[in-house]
Amino acid sequence: MIAIIVLGLITFFLFREGAEFFPQNLQNLRLYRKAGLEYVGLMREQTAAHATLNRSLQDLRVRQIMAMLKAGKTQEEAQAALAEFDTYATQFDAAVGDLRSLVSDLTDEVTAIKEKAKIHDDALEQREFLLKEGKKTEADAVKTATVDFKAELAPVLATFPAYTAAVATLKQNLEVVLEKPLTLPVHEYQPRYKHFQNAVRAYLKTFPETEEKLKNWRADAPVPWWRSLTSFLFGTEWITNSFWQDWYGILPLLAGSLLVSIIALLIAVPLGVCAAVYVSELAQPAEAKFIKPYLEFISAIPSVVLGFFGIAVLGEHIRQLTQWHALSWISAFPIAERLNAFTAGALLALMAIPTIFSLSEDALNSIPRHFKEASYALGATRLQTILRVLVPASLSGIVSAVLLGFGRVIGETMVVLLCAGNRIAIPDFTEGIGTVFQPVHTMTGIVAQELGEVANGTLHYRALFMVGLFLFFLALFINWLAQTVVRKYKISIG
Amino acid sequence: MSTSQPLSQEEETAPAQPAAPASPNAVDVENLDFYYGDYHALHGVNLQIPAHKVTAFIGPSGCGKSTLLRCFNRMNDLVPESHIKHGSIKVHGTDINGPNVDPIELRKRVGMVFQKSNPFPKSIYENVVYGLRIQGRNKRAELDEIVERSLRAAALWDEVKDRLHESGVGLSGGQQQRLCIARAIAVEPEIILMDEPCSALDPIATSKVEELIFDLKKSYTIIIVTHNMQQAGRCSDLTAFFYLGRLIEIDRTEKIFTNPTQKQTEDYITGRFG
Ligand SMILES: Nc1ncnc2c1ncn2[C@@H]1O[C@H](COP(=O)(O)OP(=O)(O)O)[C@@H](O)[C@H]1O
Ligand SMILES: [Mg+2]
Repeated sequence: MIAIIVLGLITFFLFREGAEFFPQNLQNLRLYRKAGLEYVGLMREQTAAHATLNRSLQDLRVRQIMAMLKAGKTQEEAQAALAEFDTYATQFDAAVGDLRSLVSDLTDEVTAIKEKAKIHDDALEQREFLLKEGKKTEADAVKTATVDFKAELAPVLATFPAYTAAVATLKQNLEVVLEKPLTLPVHEYQPRYKHFQNAVRAYLKTFPETEEKLKNWRADAPVPWWRSLTSFLFGTEWITNSFWQDWYGILPLLAGSLLVSIIALLIAVPLGVCAAVYVSELAQPAEAKFIKPYLEFISAIPSVVLGFFGIAVLGEHIRQLTQWHALSWISAFPIAERLNAFTAGALLALMAIPTIFSLSEDALNSIPRHFKEASYALGATRLQTILRVLVPASLSGIVSAVLLGFGRVIGETMVVLLCAGNRIAIPDFTEGIGTVFQPVHTMTGIVAQELGEVANGTLHYRALFMVGLFLFFLALFINWLAQTVVRKYKISIG
Repeated sequence: MSTSQPLSQEEETAPAQPAAPASPNAVDVENLDFYYGDYHALHGVNLQIPAHKVTAFIGPSGCGKSTLLRCFNRMNDLVPESHIKHGSIKVHGTDINGPNVDPIELRKRVGMVFQKSNPFPKSIYENVVYGLRIQGRNKRAELDEIVERSLRAAALWDEVKDRLHESGVGLSGGQQQRLCIARAIAVEPEIILMDEPCSALDPIATSKVEELIFDLKKSYTIIIVTHNMQQAGRCSDLTAFFYLGRLIEIDRTEKIFTNPTQKQTEDYITGRFG
């Protein structure tokens, strides 16, 4: 009963703080459009894509130098060999010049518009506040200047011809660069260059679409209310305190949390379940008496201590291990970051093992003894009895143990905050095994990290409460799922 | 009830136990002293159980009937601290506690049906073939055939043939117990031990299982523990009476029930205690 009241209160207060998020975020999104940031944003994406290509060229350069140094050349020789490559790279970089300066100008203009709108909103708020306090004269003294978005935006939209011209130049320049044959001094990187060329071609193909979007863009097109929700649930960016635009999309955090939790479970489930099977079926009573308290003691270690351990010991050792020569066939090795999803996941596994262990053990012990006897009486060995009767019969109990372990790790804060690397980005899942060695940020981590710093009542503050609310419901859902599984299991045993 | 089992006919024509000519008995117990830790559960038991007969163990509860039964397939190995202090048990002439005997192999030859029916939470089909699968026998056709034969032998086939892949736990108590019997005979043991198989069943289910026991003795040696004197009278050939961990007497069932040698037996049978 008390539990229900507490749950209700938690939900209520989280909602009270979080619910304001939606109108505020909607306003934020509307301003993004009205002030023309969205318009310029399309162009910014285009220059950003170029910058990414440029970076991959730089990366290619670094790799070649490394390869040549390794092959015994001196620094000067290596630089000289790259002369042709460098001209190429400079040309590639210069191609975007016109567009870049245009975008930079427009960026200044639209952010200025946005700033004005913000000042206006603040003034309005202040006046309202003063009126409420009953200070009418002071309130009247607050100056407000309404922003005429249409007039302000007109010069920005007027640059469209300049934009098309700049893009045409860019296209021409890039085509010239593309046609130029380039042989790399380090031959084994030639395929990477091919890859780069293809990427540039794909980039060129996106131009007409962007242009079309810009042409059809309308500042007064309405932003529907549900965008406020979808931009939160499906937003791929979490950017705060940006001079440009703040985004509160939960996906990178959710992806980070899930990645860390899955790593933790992949480690903890086999260990926890095997330990449970061992203790309940195979171990001598004396061994069981020894193992159980130790495993359960792990859950008493403060998570901050585990976090220290992760930073000081585990992260560094894992990195050193990946530098080990025998492992170099794994393409992701050696890893760059000491603190990453794997480090955090490995520590979280440690925290999940006791949960999974004790619940699985309970599930195994709750199997009626006569199942075991029936199996032995038919001539089964211990292993056969475990694998064919005990584990299947307790499977739903084990599944629910795993789910509760999952709930435990996804809600854990300190370890991920300290050890997950805290980079807010959706992990690059194309990297195969390397994915797990990327730094990530998590839902719990971000709340702990940012909530102390934000001003009460701002959009950012509300967004953090929304993350909290999301976590809360996720935890409730996982628990509900675990209980459902257990209930079903009870029925099937009969 | 169906008695048309290919198995039983085959066995009837063959002479009993050509494999162990040294002893015509299925089980020979000599001077057995069994302990649970310090507790002396069986005192110097001497007993011969003939093959292809039904032998009933009766006696007040706690007198060691189950304990003795569980010695025959070494199920007591699973009870920590339990041990045999003196004496030996031979199954078809082989000492089952000898150094070369694998209890796993022994249990394939000596099957067991428990007091509480205990089908696995698996389908009826999988319950029956469990003992085969653990021996690595997975051929579909072979399993299908054995399932049908075992279920027929357990007089359950007609009731479940249309739902072989439904859970065995969904059957009625009597059906579950017959399923457990089918599961035990699927591996074709030589001896079937039954520990109060009917104690949890209603009279109709009990009479079905009793008929079944009567049919099964053509193919198997059956040792049944029972609390129910009428049951022992109805379906056994021999009856052994135990009291306080000792075998008091064993004889033909009619003899035990009409004219027992020992006073204690008579008291028990006439209901003066127990
Ligand atoms: N696992 C065990 N550990 C200790 N004592 C046991 C165990 N099983 C049975 N006993 C004891 O051994 C005696 C014989 O038990 P049991 O063979 O089950 O009797 P019955 O089947 O004739 O009722 C009883 O006194 C019982 O308490
Ligand atoms: Mg008993």
